[in-house]
Amino acid sequence: MNLEIEVMENDEKQQVKLTGEIDAYTAPKLKEALLPLTKMGNTTVVVDLEQVNYMDSTGLGVFISALKSTKEYGSELRLVALQGRVQRLFEITGLDSVLNIDSTVRGGK
Amino acid sequence: MKTKSQVQINKEWDIVGARQMGRELAKEMGFGTVDQARIATAISELARNIYLYADKGAVTFEIEEDLNKKGLKIIASDQGPGIADLSKVMEDGYSTSGGLGAGLPGVKRLMDYFDIVSEPESGTTITTIKWVR
Amino acid sequence: MEPLDVKNYRSLLKKYIDSEDETSLYQADQFSKLSIQQNISPEEIINVHIQALQELYPNLPKEIDLSMNFLLETMISYGLAYQEFQSLREKQGEIESELSVAANMQDTLLSTTKPEISGFDIGAISVPAHQMNGDYHHFVIDSSKNLGIAIADVIGKGVPAALAMSMIKYSLDSFPDSLRTPDVILENLNRVVERNVDTSMFITMFYGLLNPESGLLQFSSAGHEPGFYYCAKSDEFHEIKTKGIVLGVSESATYEQFDIQMEVGDMVVLLTDGVTECRVGDRFIEPDEMLDVIRKYMHLPAQEAVDLVYRHFERLQDFHLRDDFTLIFLKK
Repeated sequence: MNLEIEVMENDEKQQVKLTGEIDAYTAPKLKEALLPLTKMGNTTVVVDLEQVNYMDSTGLGVFISALKSTKEYGSELRLVALQGRVQRLFEITGLDSVLNIDSTVRGGK
Repeated sequence: MKTKSQVQINKEWDIVGARQMGRELAKEMGFGTVDQARIATAISELARNIYLYADKGAVTFEIEEDLNKKGLKIIASDQGPGIADLSKVMEDGYSTSGGLGAGLPGVKRLMDYFDIVSEPESGTTITTIKWVR
Repeated sequence: MEPLDVKNYRSLLKKYIDSEDETSLYQADQFSKLSIQQNISPEEIINVHIQALQELYPNLPKEIDLSMNFLLETMISYGLAYQEFQSLREKQGEIESELSVAANMQDTLLSTTKPEISGFDIGAISVPAHQMNGDYHHFVIDSSKNLGIAIADVIGKGVPAALAMSMIKYSLDSFPDSLRTPDVILENLNRVVERNVDTSMFITMFYGLLNPESGLLQFSSAGHEPGFYYCAKSDEFHEIKTKGIVLGVSESATYEQFDIQMEVGDMVVLLTDGVTECRVGDRFIEPDEMLDVIRKYMHLPAQEAVDLVYRHFERLQDFHLRDDFTLIFLKK
């Protein structure tokens, strides 16, 4: 179980590419990387989940925290390229209604 | 009568000097091989703390004579940054941090008596005693 | 054997040097274990060795003596590390026993009695992956003899999750009977959780209200893992479709209410993601595989059936649960 986090800045966007699994062990690392980006203000944080094949509910917690933080700092959070299991988790929990999710965009192009 | 000697700690080499003085005193006083090694290790820890975290300081040796026992008293004092949270430093597991005060729980185990007084910004004084068995 | 008795050690060492026999080595092994039990540090053992050696061979070269002293010095810090490890181990024991007291307390606080309702057979099992359970289920019978069933999962594990669950239980208990329809209950709970719980923590819950007379089950879900409805007439399982956001995220969330009319032979399966996200080696089990297991046992009395399904999954995962596991069967 491992999670790679790659952050790229271009235009007014923060691109975050995740590869691996998001679970109770990797979630703290994700939170540490994601929260500072959401606090930059007036920016869009795009999280690419194409290479994430497993996420458990702890991962949802991280994205909810990040969402609350972006709202506070006037930024925006977008999740793109969600895979089957991950997409399903957002749908079941109803979090697709509060998060900006685009499962069709590949790699945030 | 108290014998008193002191080693100033300014550079890493001084740690060895302090160990040597402590060991010679310990030998003269009749400490066994294991206790000599323990005393030397304790001095290392104390002197290293001074060398790494305080600009200057000293290790002082005194021979303590009670009615029925004899001991070597080692006092490490510095004018360094001081230690804000003493209970944290004295907790087991802290030594792995390698930070200021790491290894003090070890010194406490190596010696028979241990006392520490520290004021942030004004320095730390650690007093320890090992009794001859 | 007395540990650290130089005389004993000396004769043992002598015996070994003379005969090189395995018995002496076995005794050395026992000596070492005994020393550990009595908190003897490594440098003291080396010291005994040095003394024994000097007594046995007074004319050893000076280099050997010196090298033994050198070894003694290098072992001092190992001795310290060992003693520190011992003290940390004791501390860990204390923490573990405190945690097990907390887990027992949680069991008592969150305990629920499975009700006996004529015309229905209920089975329920909830097993934590670690000491504290982040899953929760609760049965309650209201004044009009309707059965309320709650099944929930706190996101975030361990002690904080358990604390949050106690809050949920006491909120549930405090709602009056007039507010006991599933949609209203979830709406109220959502406000409680939203106000009181840390932002990264939230709770999924399915709440059902069964009228045992008519067999009508009304329910709402706050983002909970969907359960299944087994229809006897068609001999098929259907996923129980619901819609609703998890508790604690959106302040003004409302919940839609659905219903199922249960007929004789029908069964409702409620579960948490510890059941559906069961891993076998590197892969997750498919929903159909899970339903096959349920189907295999569902003819049995409900409690026996859920127990056997749990055993099946426990074995499938090599007796090592990754997540809390809760499963409820409601059979008519």
